[in-house]
Amino acid sequence: MLFRLEKRQEPSRFMLYATPVASVLLTMVVGAIIFSLIGYDGIGAVREIFFTPLTNAYKWQDLGVKAAPLVIIGVGLSIAYRANVWNIGAEGQYIMGGLAGTWVALATYGMTGPWILPLMILAGVVGGALYAAIPALLKTRLNVNEILTSLMLTYASVQLIYYLIRAPWKDPMGMGFPQTRLFSEAARLPTVIPGTIVHLGVPIAVLVALAAWFIMSRSVFGYQMKVVGAAPHAARYGGFSENKTIWLALLVSGALAGLAGVLEVAGPFQRMVPGFPTNYGFTAIIVAFLGRLNPLGVLFAGIVMAITFVGGEVAQTTIGLPNAATGIFQAMVLFFLLAGDILVRYRIRRVVANPAAGAA
Amino acid sequence: MPLRLQLTGITKRFPGVLANDNVTFSVKPGEIHALLGENGAGKSTLVKMIYGIMQPDAGEIAWDGEPVVVASPKAARKLGVGMVFQHFSLFEALTVLENIALGMDAKIPARELEARIRAVMSQYGLLLDPHRTVATLSVGERQRIEIVRALLLDPKLLIMDEPTSVLTPQEVEQLFTVLRTLAAQGCSILYISHKLHEIKALCDTATILRGGRLVDTCDPKQETSRSMAEKMIGAGLKDIVRQPGRSMGLPKLVVSRLSTRKAGHFDVAVDSVSLTVRAGEIFGIAGVAGNGQNALLDALSGEIISDDKDAITIDGYPLGLLDTTGRRKYGLCAVPEERNGHAAVGDFTLSDNSVLTARDRLGMVVLGLINSGAAKTYTGKVIADFAVKALGPGSTAGSLSGGNLQKYIMGREILQKPSVLVVSQPTWGVDAGAAAAIHQALVDLAAAGSAIVVISQDLDELLALCDTLAVINLGRLSGARPVGEVSVEEIGLLMGGVHGTTEARDAVSA
Repeated sequence: MLFRLEKRQEPSRFMLYATPVASVLLTMVVGAIIFSLIGYDGIGAVREIFFTPLTNAYKWQDLGVKAAPLVIIGVGLSIAYRANVWNIGAEGQYIMGGLAGTWVALATYGMTGPWILPLMILAGVVGGALYAAIPALLKTRLNVNEILTSLMLTYASVQLIYYLIRAPWKDPMGMGFPQTRLFSEAARLPTVIPGTIVHLGVPIAVLVALAAWFIMSRSVFGYQMKVVGAAPHAARYGGFSENKTIWLALLVSGALAGLAGVLEVAGPFQRMVPGFPTNYGFTAIIVAFLGRLNPLGVLFAGIVMAITFVGGEVAQTTIGLPNAATGIFQAMVLFFLLAGDILVRYRIRRVVANPAAGAA
Repeated sequence: MPLRLQLTGITKRFPGVLANDNVTFSVKPGEIHALLGENGAGKSTLVKMIYGIMQPDAGEIAWDGEPVVVASPKAARKLGVGMVFQHFSLFEALTVLENIALGMDAKIPARELEARIRAVMSQYGLLLDPHRTVATLSVGERQRIEIVRALLLDPKLLIMDEPTSVLTPQEVEQLFTVLRTLAAQGCSILYISHKLHEIKALCDTATILRGGRLVDTCDPKQETSRSMAEKMIGAGLKDIVRQPGRSMGLPKLVVSRLSTRKAGHFDVAVDSVSLTVRAGEIFGIAGVAGNGQNALLDALSGEIISDDKDAITIDGYPLGLLDTTGRRKYGLCAVPEERNGHAAVGDFTLSDNSVLTARDRLGMVVLGLINSGAAKTYTGKVIADFAVKALGPGSTAGSLSGGNLQKYIMGREILQKPSVLVVSQPTWGVDAGAAAAIHQALVDLAAAGSAIVVISQDLDELLALCDTLAVINLGRLSGARPVGEVSVEEIGLLMGGVHGTTEARDAVSA
């Protein structure tokens, strides 16, 4: 008995939505087997990573706080990837957004006023966008691959944090620790639910996803991103410039990564520290794909990824799973998703050898 | 003598369509047998099963009287079936010899292969230097490589899929001579084409398919082109209706010394092309594929922007520096040759494809937002007016057959009422019924006062459709002549690059 892939006449909408769910389920099954084989409580690991964050109401606020930056960055990446612009450096743009916000916070240190926080956010957005402008410029002018430039700039931005917090921005009262001083009250993101750690970034993430969904599905901008990604030649025929699209895609995804960065530094961190780069920018790549490059899908995918982060921390303490386990689970989700993607355009058919053939 | 090929009750079903329904016909040794049918009639599917690319769901294939299962193209070649595809699979940077060597099932030393190639070439008069790089060859010469490749296997049945769509009239004659020689030696030929007069000239028998079913097997020499076309489409064929005594208006589209830069290594650029098209005129541009037609279309549509604002004008207004969107606003619409991925996006719905070119002219965009209702309404109108076979505006472009997609694309542009329409290969791979509808729509648009440029490799189409004709060769355009005053031979020579002078065609030595 043989199986054969057969092209579908129309891409399957069912598979489009079913494969992300299936990839998460498969990850749980395979993850349980792998961790059992290497001597951990595999089923327990899956339970702690995927279910404890959901069943334990106390963890919900953590989920929101972790999901917010993933969703904001993931939405930006989903827009860029739609246009086949592969911004892999969201982590760097996130860092630059955080640094730009930190700069405003330090420059306004000790001041009060409702204008400080909006100014920080603006600086973060601009910082992220400007950092993404470098790959855009190199791509459109010199045709340098944006995957490489955006990725390498991430490492440059990490070094910039280390430099700034060790020298010019070092907390004068910090006893030598490499970190900035704690932002003043006016430069900190307020919490939206009293008594929790849920900050303003969480509703902003939801708003960003909704706005992006509307723009991508209804506007000429969204159409431009999709048509350039789907058929560049047709896009040119339709009057959309490829270079302009590359610029827009990188600036938008950079700006959103920068927004996530400034919200993160003004919210959970409230100061710039060496531990600021937490790979949200890289995990958001998985989020974007898991969400089918659809902003609303990204919202759900961001929550799923946040579950693995929170659950990973739980599993570290309860069953002693190493921190790297979270990464393995996240990578498996992406792996199964990409592998399952073929079912959207193809179906599996059983090939039965024709018994009539050959008999005269 | 047993029949070379006998198909009995061949049936093939795809999801949603019955591609072949109980098809039965046979090919005698040495017979040139035409396979006729509209797009989607099931010709390709049938041929793919004979060549082993697909397996029939039911029915039987017999070869020289023996029932066979053709499991793969390799098995088909072993039986003695050769095939020349419509689209060549050649590496442009390699030589003729290298290309042929790559396609052989058996490993043959280069020296011996070359000797055999030369033997086949001289036997059939297929003159070609085996050491030339494919990129330097004309389309007709490239086709000869494919034929030689098939002949090297000593086929007993040669399948030719739309072989003349890219040839000049002289090249077509040469091909026919080769095919007749082959047939005289006992090789059967299965000849797939839309060009009915060629089938009348070449074939002994014609099998006509419609909607997957066999409708008739006839002798093309006893039929008229019209009667065969009517069997193909299953209805009376409409003639192009022209209003008598119409006159041309003032010059509308004026192109002067339009040039483009060579983009790729094997690209042919447009070289100082000038032409004038009057309101109501249909201006035809003939030429063998790969002589700068694509660059010319891109330069006219605005995909390639000129340096000179006056290189292209409509009613005297300069358009040279504008992009496609800008030119469309001034009434210049265009349809490129490649349907999927250029004129339309396969993954998008038809409605979204309407947004691609019609959004500004028809007010589908308000404050940066797309009015999808307007796009849907317009798409519905295109589908209805041009009889596009689609489930509705929500169908993806990629799910339509080639002919239906072309009807949709032509309709999308024509219903925008452009004052100038430039189209490349408007009926390429489109069945007779759809082609007639597209031609009529172009004639009606011209009658309404638009200027139309038709770039095509199909000379019959241009002669039937156009008022004026010019020929493009290596990016240069010949002088324009009224259609009534120019002979097919003359155009054929221009297509081959002979511009009235005694310019020696590069000698084809073997």
